[in-house]
Amino acid sequence: MSKLKNPYIPFSSRILSIIRHTQKEYTFRMEYKGEVIPGQFFEVSVPKYGEAPISVSGIGEGFVDLTIRKVGRVTDEVFEQYEGQSLFLRGPYGNGFDLSLYETGEVIVVAGGTGVSPVRGVISALAETTDAKDKHVIVGFKSPEDMLFREDLKEWSDKLDLILTVDGAPEGYDGKIGLVTRYIPEVPVRDVKNARAIVVGPPPMMRFSVKGLLEKGFEEKNIWVSQERKMCCGLGKCGHCRIGEKYVCLDGPVFNYVESKEMID
Amino acid sequence: MGFVLSEKGFEKLIRHLSDTYRLYAPVLKPGEGRFTDTDVVRYDFVKDSAEIELSKKSDYSFKEILTPLSETLFYFTEQEMKEADADEQPVLVFLRNCDLHALRRLDQIYLQNGTSQDWFYNRIRRNLSFALIGCAESCEDGFCVSMGANKNVEGYLFSIDQEDGKFLFDVKDFSLLPVFADLGNEAEVTPRFVTENKVQVSIPETVPNSIYQNPIWDEYNTRCIGCGRCNFVCPTCTCYTMQDVFYTENGKVGERRRVAASCMVDGYTNVAGGGQYRKSSAERMRFKVLHKVYDFRRRFGYDMCVGCGRCDMACPEYISFPVCINKLNRAVKEGQIHE
Amino acid sequence: MGKDINVKKLKKNAFRYSKVRNETASRVRIPGGVVSARSMGRIAEIAEKYGNGTIFVTNRQGVEIPGIDISNIDAVNRELQLIIDETKVNQDEREKGYPASGTRNIVACPGSRLCPFGCYDTTDLARKMDQAIFPNNLHFKVAFTGCSNDCAKVRMNDFGIIGMTEPQYNKDRCVGCEQCVKYCQKRSVGALKMVNGKIVRDTDLCIGCGVCVTYCPTRAWTRSRERYFRLVLLGRTGKVNPRLAQDFIKWADEQSVFKIVKNAYAYVEEYIDRNAVEGKEHVGYIVDRTGFDEFVNWIMKDVVLPEKAEVARRIYWEGKRYDRSNNLK
Repeated sequence: MSKLKNPYIPFSSRILSIIRHTQKEYTFRMEYKGEVIPGQFFEVSVPKYGEAPISVSGIGEGFVDLTIRKVGRVTDEVFEQYEGQSLFLRGPYGNGFDLSLYETGEVIVVAGGTGVSPVRGVISALAETTDAKDKHVIVGFKSPEDMLFREDLKEWSDKLDLILTVDGAPEGYDGKIGLVTRYIPEVPVRDVKNARAIVVGPPPMMRFSVKGLLEKGFEEKNIWVSQERKMCCGLGKCGHCRIGEKYVCLDGPVFNYVESKEMID
Repeated sequence: MGFVLSEKGFEKLIRHLSDTYRLYAPVLKPGEGRFTDTDVVRYDFVKDSAEIELSKKSDYSFKEILTPLSETLFYFTEQEMKEADADEQPVLVFLRNCDLHALRRLDQIYLQNGTSQDWFYNRIRRNLSFALIGCAESCEDGFCVSMGANKNVEGYLFSIDQEDGKFLFDVKDFSLLPVFADLGNEAEVTPRFVTENKVQVSIPETVPNSIYQNPIWDEYNTRCIGCGRCNFVCPTCTCYTMQDVFYTENGKVGERRRVAASCMVDGYTNVAGGGQYRKSSAERMRFKVLHKVYDFRRRFGYDMCVGCGRCDMACPEYISFPVCINKLNRAVKEGQIHE
Repeated sequence: MGKDINVKKLKKNAFRYSKVRNETASRVRIPGGVVSARSMGRIAEIAEKYGNGTIFVTNRQGVEIPGIDISNIDAVNRELQLIIDETKVNQDEREKGYPASGTRNIVACPGSRLCPFGCYDTTDLARKMDQAIFPNNLHFKVAFTGCSNDCAKVRMNDFGIIGMTEPQYNKDRCVGCEQCVKYCQKRSVGALKMVNGKIVRDTDLCIGCGVCVTYCPTRAWTRSRERYFRLVLLGRTGKVNPRLAQDFIKWADEQSVFKIVKNAYAYVEEYIDRNAVEGKEHVGYIVDRTGFDEFVNWIMKDVVLPEKAEVARRIYWEGKRYDRSNNLK
């Protein structure tokens, strides 16, 4: 017991830089040394304000990126912090994406809004594979103003098949408009029985995207989703993220669709 | 080894144990019930044998010592984060058969779910020992026999039963034998347990996903008020919510605590930004019931509910948990026939 | 032979002067409105035997047995004895019926015997009050209600006693579910708010209704051991100036409430208008005449209130003044 560390004690992590995507969405590059994989999450806290589960949106030498949406007491306070100041972290928690599953062969990633964060690392990895032309990515945002990771989007569009769409846009917008589900049928997939897919985003978007993929001919076992739930502890104790016999924080947040279709809130 | 003690002997025993242990037992709190002139039996620390409520089942469970309703984890000052102190003195908890079975469920979640043990739970848990209060007859609402939680043969230092003004003990802890030998006489003692309850349930072996759409849950939308009493009194419910606060206007000093959470109360599934995964009482009831008699078993191999019946005693709307289990069982059976 | 009835005596003996000549009605006193089924049966028997077979249930929780021939008053009084015994109503002389009617039946809501919101045993206190102030010919209306809902409508009485509890908060049992906050808002005055995950009670706003205690799922809120009362004064109906009773003391104790009501009798004895019709003058109108301060001097004599108690220095009654204007246009 004495050798063990209290897993609830967060460590202090310096903010290396902040990218301000929109008024409400910033990416905090946090000092971090240690193993972490895309799809995992950290409990981010500002003491006296609380903790919030935030998924890893980028991983690099000595840092992790955390893309945070300003939606409540904790994240409001996080947004008050500047470069050089610190946040407190616990984690990483959860299983994350098994990148080896997507390295070869055809892959579709469908991501919506902040759902892009957990798969950003996956997409970046796909962009560096030798058959990147077989990697299709559909990214959707509410409006052009809500776009995240603009730099990455540019880079991805050069390296792989990127469909960038917005739900709606003001007059004169020359990009694609429409829900991500609209573009699923358009993606050219040669061997749909063996192609793999990842879907991440708000619950209705995920439901309809999976439906679209199945209609397109994807096998259930070749689809992975990442679930977002209230997670107070990340350790399988607080109970908030349980669905059926699964704990999203321990067994997920990434689930194969064969599993996740049985998970009803 | 069994012993019989007089009331005086029991009194002395408790005083003796108080030297080593903090004693945590069900206590009748007069006037502390919901309504005027109603009482509540809940756990508290005692020093005197007369304080221990040996007849009535407690309204709130012993779990409050392990998972306090409100527990400070850390204190924050401007620069520092300090773990809240724990009382390291050994504690002897007086509980019933159903509760001792519930302990295994609490341990399951806090010590064995996932790869890390819960630090704060563990630091209390390792100081606990147990005294088993026997049940001479079934309580009104319990269905422990159906849940297989009516009997224990180990896991306690000693048991207590009352009979004709005498106190009977089955002593398992060797170190206590001289104490008992000193205070009473040896006798043949088996802790009392019930073999039959007024309430019985049948648990479905498997539950198909179609149960999620079954109309059995609908009535709870209008009946349940979402107060969470069923969860707060349950000896096997373990959920909590983190709470950070600052004490002062300048926000420089504060704490992080966790408070008991209920899957029936609004806000349990709320995620930042306003999403809520189970909005209706019917969904929440289904979530709770299936956890107690199915989902927990799918993960850990045995049922969570111990059939103590406290949820029924506590429900202000007369919603019966065992009645719901039996409804579930019937719905599953009918479904099988139709398929 | 002609009928020669002393109507004033008849009325004081709790029989009604009826518009139907030679008929009367017996007014049965039921303090707190709780009566045994056996006594109720006896009332029914009297109604069958001497009355017209009906029973009138009054506004003040008594019953009247109408249609009694005036010549049967003595017989009815004899038959009332078992009921009077069982309801433990004070009496001067056995088998002579009720000795007075001025001080009206003491009203009480079901209170904590039945009601989840009741803060005390209203029936018990109503009976005790009846013992303390009856018989008396002075016109007094006293009523007890278990909580601020005032189901007994005590604000229509000279002395209204409203139950209060002082909510006790155990922050260690509070999980911050905010149900107390919600129900205090929806069912009461909104005296609670959550600060730092725990509840803060606005002691000024709190009316001691106990809704927080009833709805707390963890026993973080419990009732105070002490029973408290809000005493409201001098409400009335009537032709001249009907009005609701106003708050006089908040967080009063039982002993003080009883003392104050008893003291009020002495005040009325002193100041009642001797020339009033039938010697009947409502206490409220006497206070209008003597001034509130004099009234308070009398009723607060030897009263020792608990430290917590708050006493109103002035009371302003509103209500309708028919004696000043009756014009609705």
